[in-house]
Amino acid sequence: MSQELTKLLINKHVSRINFGLQNLPSLKYGIPDALGDLRWTPELILTTFEQANTGNPPTSGLEYKIGNSGGGFDSINFKSKEDTITHYDKVSDLSISLNNRNKGSPLDISIPVYGGGMSFGSVSLNFMLSRALAAKKLNTFTCTGEGGYPKELLKYQENVITQIATGMFGVSEETLQQTKIIEIKYAQGAKPGLGGHLLADKVSSEVAKIRESTPFTSLYSPFPFHSVYSVEDHKKHVDWVKTINPRALISVKVSTPKDVDMVAIGSYYAGANIIHIDGGYGGTGAAPEIAKKNIAMPIEYAISKVHKYLESEGVRNEIVLIASGGIRTAYDVAKAIALGADGAVIGTTEAVAVGCTHCGNCESGRGCQIGIATSDPELSQFISVEWGAKRIENLYNSWIKQWYDLLYKLELNSIRELRGRTDLLEYRGVRY
Amino acid sequence: MSIAEKIIKSREKITDGLTLQKKLTMEGGCGVIGFASSTRLPGKHLLSSLMQMKNRGNGKGGGVAILGLSSFQLGVDQQILENDYIIQIAYLNKHCRNELEDQFINSKFIVDKSSRVNSIEDYRSIGLEVKPPEVYRYFCKVKEEQLLEFMDNNNFKFSKEKAADEYVYQNTYELNRKYYSSKGEKNAFVLSHSKNMLVFKMVGYADQVIHYYKLDEFLGNIWVGHHRYPTKGNVWHPGGAHPFIGLHEALVHNGDFSNYHSVTEYLAQRSIYPLFLTDTEVAVYLFDLYSRVYEYPTEYLIEAIAPTTERDFWMLPAEKREVYNQIQQSHIQGSPDGPWFFIVGRSIPLKREIELWGITDTSMLRPQVFALQEGEEQIGLIGSELQAIDAVLNSLATENNRFSAKADIYWNARGGSYTDGGAFVFQIDLNQEKPKLKCTDKFGKEITSPRPVVNSENLFDLLSIKLGMNLSERLLVHSSNKKSLIDLCTSIQNLNLIKQGVIFEYILSLTQILDKMHLLPNSKNGKVRELIENTLYKLFRSFPTKLNSDSVGLLVDKMHEEDLILPINPLQKLFIDIGDFEIEGDKSAALFIVNAYKMGWKNIYTFNWRGHRFGGCGLGPNSDGLRIDVYGNPGDYLASGLDGAEIYVHCSAQDQVGQMMKSGKLIIFGDVGQTFLYGAKGGEIYILGNAAGRPLINAVGKPRVIINGTCLDYLAEGFMAGDPLNGGGFAIINGIRFDNNGKLVELETPYPGGNLLSLASGGAIYIRDPNSKVEENQLNGGMINGLSKLDLILLDHYLATNEELFGIPAYLSNPRGLTNDKLYRKIEPAKIKELVSG
Repeated sequence: MSQELTKLLINKHVSRINFGLQNLPSLKYGIPDALGDLRWTPELILTTFEQANTGNPPTSGLEYKIGNSGGGFDSINFKSKEDTITHYDKVSDLSISLNNRNKGSPLDISIPVYGGGMSFGSVSLNFMLSRALAAKKLNTFTCTGEGGYPKELLKYQENVITQIATGMFGVSEETLQQTKIIEIKYAQGAKPGLGGHLLADKVSSEVAKIRESTPFTSLYSPFPFHSVYSVEDHKKHVDWVKTINPRALISVKVSTPKDVDMVAIGSYYAGANIIHIDGGYGGTGAAPEIAKKNIAMPIEYAISKVHKYLESEGVRNEIVLIASGGIRTAYDVAKAIALGADGAVIGTTEAVAVGCTHCGNCESGRGCQIGIATSDPELSQFISVEWGAKRIENLYNSWIKQWYDLLYKLELNSIRELRGRTDLLEYRGVRY
Repeated sequence: MSIAEKIIKSREKITDGLTLQKKLTMEGGCGVIGFASSTRLPGKHLLSSLMQMKNRGNGKGGGVAILGLSSFQLGVDQQILENDYIIQIAYLNKHCRNELEDQFINSKFIVDKSSRVNSIEDYRSIGLEVKPPEVYRYFCKVKEEQLLEFMDNNNFKFSKEKAADEYVYQNTYELNRKYYSSKGEKNAFVLSHSKNMLVFKMVGYADQVIHYYKLDEFLGNIWVGHHRYPTKGNVWHPGGAHPFIGLHEALVHNGDFSNYHSVTEYLAQRSIYPLFLTDTEVAVYLFDLYSRVYEYPTEYLIEAIAPTTERDFWMLPAEKREVYNQIQQSHIQGSPDGPWFFIVGRSIPLKREIELWGITDTSMLRPQVFALQEGEEQIGLIGSELQAIDAVLNSLATENNRFSAKADIYWNARGGSYTDGGAFVFQIDLNQEKPKLKCTDKFGKEITSPRPVVNSENLFDLLSIKLGMNLSERLLVHSSNKKSLIDLCTSIQNLNLIKQGVIFEYILSLTQILDKMHLLPNSKNGKVRELIENTLYKLFRSFPTKLNSDSVGLLVDKMHEEDLILPINPLQKLFIDIGDFEIEGDKSAALFIVNAYKMGWKNIYTFNWRGHRFGGCGLGPNSDGLRIDVYGNPGDYLASGLDGAEIYVHCSAQDQVGQMMKSGKLIIFGDVGQTFLYGAKGGEIYILGNAAGRPLINAVGKPRVIINGTCLDYLAEGFMAGDPLNGGGFAIINGIRFDNNGKLVELETPYPGGNLLSLASGGAIYIRDPNSKVEENQLNGGMINGLSKLDLILLDHYLATNEELFGIPAYLSNPRGLTNDKLYRKIEPAKIKELVSG
């Protein structure tokens, strides 16, 4: 195909995607069929599109706070005074600290969320860069995932977390030394115990090059780290990473097995700054359906379990607890914090902001038709960096307003005060 | 009913009303060390080893077991020591002692001697946070009438000795049940009750146990020490610490069972219910069950605990397979699922023998090293790390010249294997006036190491020949001294070599001797290695600690840390005495080296490593031009992440070597441990000896590796290193070793394990296998091919360098006169359809 023709085709797709994102939330075409599922309801997807369009909380009347899963965050509410007026302008402190130890430099982020690891290869470079640029503008972070550190990301170095996962793809002393936070990923909530995988079709020459692997051959990350089979091995592992970069904060990402509290305390003793627990509701379409939601503990249970346990051990205030795995909305984040987390990590929602419809075909063939979960050089062009970044920034700006409003109604001055306030939550029952 | 059935039946009474409960603590890794010596040794020799392994524990539990005791020290006669059960009870609440003694000691036993065990006065003075229990020791014989009644009640028709064993076991069980509840009140529990064996444990580190109970000068043939790393709960009790006891066994454990519940169910069917609710407790019950109740011989006991599976099973002789199959069918449910590694001390009073066992799980997921030193005295050691073993030997050698600071041989066990069975037993026969130590593997095959002969007549000439240089001339040795290495080393130490401007000649030559010792007769001689290393250390320490422009080198140690300055001229060399630096963390040796490199030092000699971790890590990208020499015992993660520099390791390295390595050169004149080159991306790596389990997993890019020995399992699983003929990576496995005469011999098979290059998509293994010992069934998604001309050309450079480094001929002669294309076989990934893009 000639270059020109390719360009034309890409432009056509881009304009169609844009048209959809701009117009679908208004419901002028009704709620499209085959959009989302019970957790990510069509309404949630459309309201996320809308927030990414406008930077404001939705006004269309569609539900934007909860989904319809019949459990978890969808079955709890904040108890707040009857007050239908929104207070989006009541500014409060949304920042959280990522280093609560009295060692190392302090590091605050301006909003209580940062971006989760999605590797180069699993997602397109432009999407990665969009996320990084948005993180920079919002003074938070995004994460490399396990696929190396593309040099284009260096521009956003101050806002990029380097991940080491079990395959150690693309990780070197260089990539570990150029970051402020190193995330050691032991497991992913969407597929605990299964390691990672990137199927052959997505291992393009570019992807293979940065991972130094064989093109168009499937890549597997083992489970677990071959050098870590115990909590004392884990400490050794953390010590190693700290030797390579003594200034970096260490985040330990784990899934949520039933003894996740043990893992958390082990990580505390190993010297981690952040314990990041990833529940079973997250993951892209590439995570096996049978694993998602079926192995890891639901995140809302895990947060509370870990939070209370760390408190009882007297170390809660020294370690940052971050939750992820199915956190979709500003309200999910706030609920996670009220249950005991310091903040949350967001992955899928950022993808939805740039047009993901949750179709679940991330791993098949050349990947995503929106240009998110793909390594295909043509599909990747559907998202431009500035456009994507703007949409993600807009989404978070809308979330910020919702948090202002919520904190105001709860009579709290900062998001930090919300942590562990389960007394502000109530069981709302199932929606339908 | 069989004897075993009767014993099990008799326990129904003491376990009545008990139910199975969940495991109380999660336990990860731990630090373990044990040794067995032909002569009794004092506890202090365990101290430095335990101190150096503190990072494997967290101070929440430590303990020691001692076997082969001195009657003199215990204040009893030999008869009593050998015939009496030595019951040691830990009292957490001293008010219960009278009542407990009445019910469980005085009414049941004739007490030949009882006393309170000495301890230091202030537990805080040694850094303990929790007051250790008061320990009382009772030398006991079961009262005759009690024993007869017990036998009668249970219809025991076997020997009184065996019945008395069970009597003591049940008495202890009832005592613990009454006075120590894992979830409730804790007043007292039995530390040990065997013959000729003692156990101590507390909330703390094992070295604190030795200090607190004043065991520094306490003698024993066998010592086992353990630091624990539990994570749950912030209140701790000594009952959860290791060692745990069966009857005549004390067991320490590093790991965490994944099938605790299934093992407890299996034990419950045999009327055994855990009281302390840890993995370790159930493990030792298994031992006691197999060893004392079922009376299994060593081999079958090990098979019941760590079954032989997969290809290893089929490699066994048919008659073994038949027996093993029976054992597995009966006991697989009770076989603990890894990761685990056990060290067990066992007393066999009837035979007057004591034993030290080391057993690894079938998957080899915990670190383990074995060592043996033979000479005037023999000592066998087992530990989590090689450095911990050397720390014991070093401590011994400084006090007792019958020991040397290095073992003669070191090795890893291959778990659940047909080759060694994954377990080794050091046995001491106390019947002899001068006890002898014997080391056997699971199958009873004896492991020996040669007798050290330091003053070998022609050693010096041989050295000259092997090193291809006239050492007498080079080293200015007086001709009358030239036959003795001791004389050579002594004379060197007395010369002022710096002043004479020849010190580097000496360093180089002695290093070469160290590096090529395997080529010499009596090469496996710890004493010789110790001597050369010590001489080198003396030379290194003769450099000044202040640098001026004339200096050829600068010496820095922890004391003179602040004196490290930039080199004045580029030829100056830096010597770092690693010894007193921290093992990890901000003040670690590793970061000090990084600092020196950043200052501009390009040639760094580092020596006196004692398990210091992460050496060569943190240097950052493009560290080309830096050379680091390593002497001593470097700890885990050496050179992990290396990207440019050259590291020469003149000794063995430990686990996680070269993980994530990107480029540079790594030469190891010894063995490496587990997960060698995991996730590596490049570099040139030469290993004189073996790699343990799981080397090169998930390696990508272009690492080029020679392992002259072999490795245990899972070599290069998921290898993705492109096409070796087109810039990709590969490993050469030579499958050879050197015997005690310095002669090169082929291993029985160049690769004994399974999963060779499994699920790989790139890279290759060139395996020296002239007799086609490696079989297709050892692969999983790979294929075996011959070598092309291009392969041979590729190998040339690496084999030539290998020859230069280790003196291993690039074209090994072989009886059939095969050429290299027939000597080597190439194992490549097959294109598996599941992996490749459709």
